[in-house]
Amino acid sequence: MNKYSNINNINNINTNIRTIIQKRNFIKPLLLSLSTIAYSSIYQSTTLANKIENNELHSNKSKNEIELEKLSSRKFFKRPPKLYENHIPTYTYEKMLMFIGSSIGAFLHPERNEFIVTLGESTATTEFLINLRNNMLNDSIGRKILKDRPYITSNILNLEKLKTYPENSFGKCYYNWLIRENCSPDTRVDVKFIDDEELAFVFQRYRQCHDFYHALIGLPIFREGEIALKFFEYLNIGIPFAGLGSIFAPWNVKKQIERERLFKIYYPWALKTAYHCKKNLINVYWEKIMDKDVNELRRELNITPPPDMRSLRKLYKKSIAK
Amino acid sequence: MFRRYLSSTARNWNSAVTTTNDIVIIGGGPAGLSLASAIKTSPILKDLKCTLIEGNKLIDSLESYYNNPPEYIDKRVVSITPTSMDFLKKIGGWDYVKHDRIETYDNIHTYDSISGAKMEFDSPELATMIENINIQSMLYQNIKRANNESTENELILLDNTKVIKIEEDPHSEWPILELSNGNKIKTRLLIGCDGYNSPVRKFAQIESRGWSYNRWGNVATCKYRDNEIRLSTGWQRFLTTGTLALLPLPNNWCSLVWSVPPEISNILNKLNDEQFKFMINAAAKLSEGELKYLYQIADNDSDKLIDEIKWRLEIFNNKPTNNSEDYPLEIEFIVPNSRAKFPLKLSNADSYIEDRIALVGDAAHTTNPLAGQGLNMGQADVKSLVETLEKSYMRGLDIGSKIALEPYWSDRYLPNHVMLGIVDKIHKIYSTDFTPIVWARSFGVNVLNNVPFIKDFMVQQISHKD
Repeated sequence: MNKYSNINNINNINTNIRTIIQKRNFIKPLLLSLSTIAYSSIYQSTTLANKIENNELHSNKSKNEIELEKLSSRKFFKRPPKLYENHIPTYTYEKMLMFIGSSIGAFLHPERNEFIVTLGESTATTEFLINLRNNMLNDSIGRKILKDRPYITSNILNLEKLKTYPENSFGKCYYNWLIRENCSPDTRVDVKFIDDEELAFVFQRYRQCHDFYHALIGLPIFREGEIALKFFEYLNIGIPFAGLGSIFAPWNVKKQIERERLFKIYYPWALKTAYHCKKNLINVYWEKIMDKDVNELRRELNITPPPDMRSLRKLYKKSIAK
Repeated sequence: MFRRYLSSTARNWNSAVTTTNDIVIIGGGPAGLSLASAIKTSPILKDLKCTLIEGNKLIDSLESYYNNPPEYIDKRVVSITPTSMDFLKKIGGWDYVKHDRIETYDNIHTYDSISGAKMEFDSPELATMIENINIQSMLYQNIKRANNESTENELILLDNTKVIKIEEDPHSEWPILELSNGNKIKTRLLIGCDGYNSPVRKFAQIESRGWSYNRWGNVATCKYRDNEIRLSTGWQRFLTTGTLALLPLPNNWCSLVWSVPPEISNILNKLNDEQFKFMINAAAKLSEGELKYLYQIADNDSDKLIDEIKWRLEIFNNKPTNNSEDYPLEIEFIVPNSRAKFPLKLSNADSYIEDRIALVGDAAHTTNPLAGQGLNMGQADVKSLVETLEKSYMRGLDIGSKIALEPYWSDRYLPNHVMLGIVDKIHKIYSTDFTPIVWARSFGVNVLNNVPFIKDFMVQQISHKD
């Protein structure tokens, strides 16, 4: 009996609890509906406040446009904008990869232009270019070049026109050199990877004037001549990749005699001439001095041309033949 | 008074001492006047017999400034911290300030000329720009009011009077001042607020140690170009040649403080206002290398200078990577004859006190103005000295004795020394273009700028907020 009564009791209690819980069931929906009412009453003002905060209040943009804007303003996975016409913006790690790839490529295949060009740009650090730009600013002619922004093409340096310059003029000297080396004035690629418009011009200028240095000094365009000129460029203008080239490129010169010629004749010549040279060659306005006497120009700059490389080679070949 | 004159002459018949004072202050600059004002408004010290001596014509210029202020704001402007402002309010000077000629600002932006690393302080009422003469005139008005209130013991303000000689009374060892108007004053306590070349310090034979920065501070009052609405912001660019600061004044005006080495200062002095204006705009934006070449052009070929600067600024402004909000607005106008220069140096006296002597403000210490702390350190000195004098007076000490003054020196020497040291280090870190140091300082600035609690601490230090 007792047992049963106990169970009954427990049952009673259980039902009591249940009824209590059931009684309270209305509280949740009440709270929910109250909060909905409260929220709906302040909803408008909060969205308005948000709009004011995001400056969206008076812009008549559709939702679609706003979404698109959000997409385009994503920070990552997006290239920075172009800074000049031919610019290809790159990240630092890409520049480093470019440097590694192009340096290996340039070492193994120095005849391939794309390696040399990319190596040149990936080693042209901003600090170096700013220094070179400052050097130009401090020189009255360099300043003029920076203001004029000359762009050298075969239209400006017409071969026919070059031919008409008097003997011994720099124009004629350049013409003779072009004919001898069998190249034309606009074989220079545009600068793409340097992240500043003016600095890109400075490097472009160096690249475009490279042929003038060749002509002035009289070095040929095959590998040996290029290495010699690169060393001179490094010493005179300070181009970093020219320095790299003058250190590493001779390793890849297979013929013993060529390497010897470089180290015994052309490197000492470059050291000596660069030391005595009175001007940074980037500050010469080559297009404007085409009719100047080439010897006078060399005297002004205090440059003595090295022994002619082609004739030295011929001499050597003859001596072997004998 | 007359009887006293007779009696004193009778006693010291060989030396014609006309008056005896409790306190004599030499120098009517902001430090001297606020000290006088603080003494006169202190309930404990106000009955002391006190004289302030100034060598230049001070009263007329302060009165004319107060009654009809000049059109343009003066070139000699200082930055005061909220603490200094509170002190000026406490001693009552602030009631007479010309409110339309001061500017309270919330933002200070500093940037590195080489790496461009920025530091942006913003905190409500970080500092206030105020003319030196505004401070002087309000303090003078306050002294006048205090004199009117207690006519018995007026503070005597002798302007246009030079101290010819200071000597020691052989009997009492009190200093005796011989004045250019023929009078002599004997005083219990002589306070030197007489600037860097302090005669009082020399009389007390206190050594002052430090060095010249080999820089000249060039100042001018300028107006910004009115093309943009900006919050008033203090701009400071750390160039390796010195800092360039453009500090806000009311209505888009600003005050220039540009410290440069003597050779550049000579070049800048040769320029006319128009060229100088362009040079400021160039110095606020262009790289060090470009500035170097512009100085050269300014030196040799100044006719071309404006065209060259226009050309470089155009290239700078056209770069899409340069955001104009990161730089101050361009200067449009320089107030004629507002350009001046002063040498920068660091010095700290070995002691600020001696028997019967106390040194306050620039007489005790001078600093590089790059942190805008010079005048504020002087105000803190004044506050501390007045508290010290009050305490010793209450305790019945002889306020001129060294032991009574000791707490002032021990209270102020270390804080001043630390501040001088910090400012000196900032100057030194920023006057090099050595690449590792540039990297280190830029990294440091970026860290400081992005860690909120460090920045809050620094803001606290700049504005001395508690």
